[in-house]
Amino acid sequence: MAAIKAEAVPYRDAFRANPAEPAWLVDARAKSLAAFGERGFPSRRDEAWRFTSTRPLAENFFVPVRRDLAVTANEDTDFGKLGFEGPAYRLVFANGIVRALPSKLPPGLWLGSMSQAISERPEAAEFAISEIDLGGTQPFASLNAALFADGFVFDLDEGVALDRPIEIVHLGKSALPTSIYLRNSVRIGAGSEATVIETYVGQGAYWDNVVTNIAVAEGASLTHIKLQDESREAVHFASARISLGWSARYRNFGLTLGANLSRNDIQVLLGKGAHANIAGAYLQRGDQDTTNAVVIDHAEPDATTQELFKGVLDERSHGAFLGTIRVREGAQKTDAKQTSRALLLSDRASVNIKPELAIFADDVKCTHGAAVGDLDKDALFYLRARGIGVDEARRMLIEAFLLETIDTIESPEVREHLARQVRRWLAAEKA
Amino acid sequence: MSDVAQALVKEGYKYGFITEIDEDRAPAGLNENVIRFISTKKGEPQWLLEWRLGAFRRWQRMQEPKWANVHFAPIDYQAASYYSAPKQKATPKSIDEVDPELLKTYAKLGIPLHERAALAGVAVDAVFDSVSVATTFKDKLGELGIIFCSFGEAVREYGDLVRQYLGSVVPQGDNFYAALNSAVFSDGSFVYVPPGVRCPMELSTYFRINAAKTGQFERTLVIADRGAYVSYLEGCTAPQRDENQLHAAVVELVALEDAQIKYSTVQNWYPGDAEGKGGIYNFVTKRGACRGARSKISWTQVETGSAITWKYPGCILEGDDTVGEFYSVAVTNNHQQADTGTKMIHLGRNTRSTVISKGISAGKGQNTYRGLVRVQPNAANARNYTQCDSLLIGQKCGAHTVPYIEVRNPMARVEHEATTSKISEEQMFYCRSRGLSQEDALSLIVNGFCKEVLKELPMEFAVEAQKLLSVSLEGSVG
Amino acid sequence: MLEIKNLHASVEGGREILNGVSLKVKAGEVHAIMGPNGSGKSTLAGILAGRDGYDIASGAVTYDGQDLLTMPPEERARAGIFLAFQYPVEIPGVNNMYFLRVALNAIRRAKSEPELDAGQFLKSVRAKLKLLEIEDDLLQRGVNVGFSGGEKKRNEIFQMAMLEPRLAILDETDSGLDIDALRIVANGINRLRAPDRAIVMITHYQRLLDYVVPDFVHVLSEGRIVRSGDRSLAGELEKTGYAGVGS
Repeated sequence: MAAIKAEAVPYRDAFRANPAEPAWLVDARAKSLAAFGERGFPSRRDEAWRFTSTRPLAENFFVPVRRDLAVTANEDTDFGKLGFEGPAYRLVFANGIVRALPSKLPPGLWLGSMSQAISERPEAAEFAISEIDLGGTQPFASLNAALFADGFVFDLDEGVALDRPIEIVHLGKSALPTSIYLRNSVRIGAGSEATVIETYVGQGAYWDNVVTNIAVAEGASLTHIKLQDESREAVHFASARISLGWSARYRNFGLTLGANLSRNDIQVLLGKGAHANIAGAYLQRGDQDTTNAVVIDHAEPDATTQELFKGVLDERSHGAFLGTIRVREGAQKTDAKQTSRALLLSDRASVNIKPELAIFADDVKCTHGAAVGDLDKDALFYLRARGIGVDEARRMLIEAFLLETIDTIESPEVREHLARQVRRWLAAEKA
Repeated sequence: MSDVAQALVKEGYKYGFITEIDEDRAPAGLNENVIRFISTKKGEPQWLLEWRLGAFRRWQRMQEPKWANVHFAPIDYQAASYYSAPKQKATPKSIDEVDPELLKTYAKLGIPLHERAALAGVAVDAVFDSVSVATTFKDKLGELGIIFCSFGEAVREYGDLVRQYLGSVVPQGDNFYAALNSAVFSDGSFVYVPPGVRCPMELSTYFRINAAKTGQFERTLVIADRGAYVSYLEGCTAPQRDENQLHAAVVELVALEDAQIKYSTVQNWYPGDAEGKGGIYNFVTKRGACRGARSKISWTQVETGSAITWKYPGCILEGDDTVGEFYSVAVTNNHQQADTGTKMIHLGRNTRSTVISKGISAGKGQNTYRGLVRVQPNAANARNYTQCDSLLIGQKCGAHTVPYIEVRNPMARVEHEATTSKISEEQMFYCRSRGLSQEDALSLIVNGFCKEVLKELPMEFAVEAQKLLSVSLEGSVG
Repeated sequence: MLEIKNLHASVEGGREILNGVSLKVKAGEVHAIMGPNGSGKSTLAGILAGRDGYDIASGAVTYDGQDLLTMPPEERARAGIFLAFQYPVEIPGVNNMYFLRVALNAIRRAKSEPELDAGQFLKSVRAKLKLLEIEDDLLQRGVNVGFSGGEKKRNEIFQMAMLEPRLAILDETDSGLDIDALRIVANGINRLRAPDRAIVMITHYQRLLDYVVPDFVHVLSEGRIVRSGDRSLAGELEKTGYAGVGS
């Protein structure tokens, strides 16, 4: 038996093979568990995890949640304020297990739980657990593959433009340290259009480990929104791996408000002529810590990327942004632009930014810009000189700073939904 | 690039000749006895021997850094000789006693050591393999109280100063190569500028690796006392040899209150041939400490040579209102690899730093900018501006930008911008339709791309650097 | 209304720029402060509006008998002081209309006047937009974002019309304007002249004064007012230049 890292032992021991599952899945889970055991938790020595502390995970064993552990979730009281107000095809999960499915679906759309898909739609399940970690930087994705109980599966046929967004709501709720694993799959058929809104909320000390594999076929377009407002005791790690076909378009926006420790890994592989627009805003206070790690891989020519991340860090919080843009040999005419900015609002807040370009083709246009600083003093004075109080003026400028990231979203309803969350955060009392 | 299809005539590396000279060298290998041998050869005091041995013991427990974006076969540290000196009857008392072969070598390199022939206003310390062979303009500088001599001489004559500052900026165990240097360093230059003195001429060291199967491990220490100013230049060449040679230098700069140090490098070590055979491994640790308030350290480097370059000249901005600057041009052609950049560590209030980096990749060259800007909690109002631009020439090369930004003060302002571009056919065509040759057009565009850095070099060096850029890129367009 | 007594001030850590300025402004008056570049005009405007970064060595400024220099900028604005900026800053993401409404209501609250609802506000905006010939769509953009130089200056006077200050300080409002824009801006200012409102125009050239005729003209040179007079002083300056007007 291969060597196993000490921190991986309790997770291995918690693993129970389910003989009811198909052989390929049993096999894949065993392989993933072994891979995780060998690798263990990443440390700050791992370049990709240099700015993300995994200490809260090392201090406790987070017992993997089991299907038979009932959770009572009251959708209205628990997510009422955070849910998307417009019409949506909605799936609700509690502690990693599906609780509510949409009743009526239009033709061309398959939307359901992973547990359902394993028997009914095995190719979607297989896609969901295929290992497509571009950077080899997501050890927790292997743990997820070994232990996931459920997740969502969203398949859209060719040539369908959905009339309303798919909304995925997840509630984590646990008094004791619990780990929750969601394994998701999204496949958008050629020429189709869709929007997915994920919302994560909860109470207590749990660890959400989410892995989503996404394929957007040629000419298709996917808008992918994520609102993370987990419990302030929670850990939230999510990996999204996206591959874009010829001329496909993908827009990702993540708003990070919650969790004690969180990390978003987004990896996009672009096909010829594809376009990716990746944006995010992170707002943290207290002793919150968040990392956004984005790898953009231009594998083929003529693709474009726009990336914009902004952070506001108050009190003792810490934020990190790692953004890599890779242009492979032959990926000529790539046009990629990345911008990352952060505002520190307190003496004890800190930020790490590591934008990275790795370019192996000569006919490309790649830029990145990063800036950290305080609010613009001239703008602040201008507002005050018009009679606006200093706190109000600061709030206005911070809001304006953040809303620029949301402006990249096309739907006004979705924009307003997210802007409301930003205002709610800004208006909230300090921790 | 169809319009620029014609290959350029390859002039090649001009400084690749070998000087036939008797040398005094240590047996190959590295152990405590070799370090004692070096120390004895140099007639060093006991404290320095102990310091070297301490460094050696640390080095033995250390590992080569793996994080840089460079690839090379493992170095056998036991195969090289760690001391090689041209055999001279005794330490030369004046230039006239220096072996004429050596003088000829420097003349070929364009570095005249005879004071009367020396460039006006440039005092030169020439380091051949491991030892300093001549220092010019010593007397003139001496009148102002400026000390400019070989490191060995400084140990003998100004032991207390050396002891006070040696390792105070780059500690013995800072990194693998710095530890190795601390254990085996042979010679180098020492500069001390007394309070309030503005050094009237450029101080320059010319480094030359000649012997085969040796490394060069020089150590440079520059101290500018309160209110002093000094501009220091270094240039480097090496013969064309098939095996790789290691150059692991350490440079420490100390600027006290209101002092300014300007440190310029034109590095043209042998880069290896077009197939990537041979060339210098240039693994260098350079760091300056702005210790006193309002002091300033400015690094300028033009890196055209070496098979592999690994260096990050940095500034530790300890004093309030201190300023750090880094201006860099790095060229990689053929199989050259460069992983270079800077570290700006803001500790004091109102500290400012500027970083301008220009990377040029051609052939199969790989060029990485790696930089760190760190603002510590007490560095209120710290400012940094970083700009790094990459230019790619051809489809087989690579350009990488890896900046790290760490901010722990809300009143700091840090800005970083990076771009990647290529030389466009339109630019080339425009120049050529105005009568420029392909080589001249390339040279013109590349020099324009590097202008912000080149203008920081002292004039004599700027001209040399421009020529070097053109030569380094020969054969890259076609 | 405004009284400046022997004001000495410098840019933080720098040399002294105001070198004993004294000036009295009463309600209903229009004053022009003229002077060459570097005479301290913009420093004076900045100090009156409460900008950071100046050291006041000595002297006093009172506004309605209150010590102005200790008031933060927003309190000054709420007390009725308005600075039309020489270089209005662009504030991306902050909607112009929203900004103006927040400002107006902050000032109204301070005056114990009821806040305007959206309808009343809009009505007031429309009337004043016309006065300054400003396009509606300018209001939907970020504050000053993408405005031309002339649009920025017109927007400043538009804000003045909306906020109805008691003391308006116009810092080089005429600079960078072509003749049509100058006429529009001047017309706007003239419409805002009122018995209970004082206006201080700071300018390098006298051409604005052809349109907005001041009651008093002061010449600022090397940080002090070297001459004061009526509007004829401006004409004299036109002929002789600043060099000819000594103390």
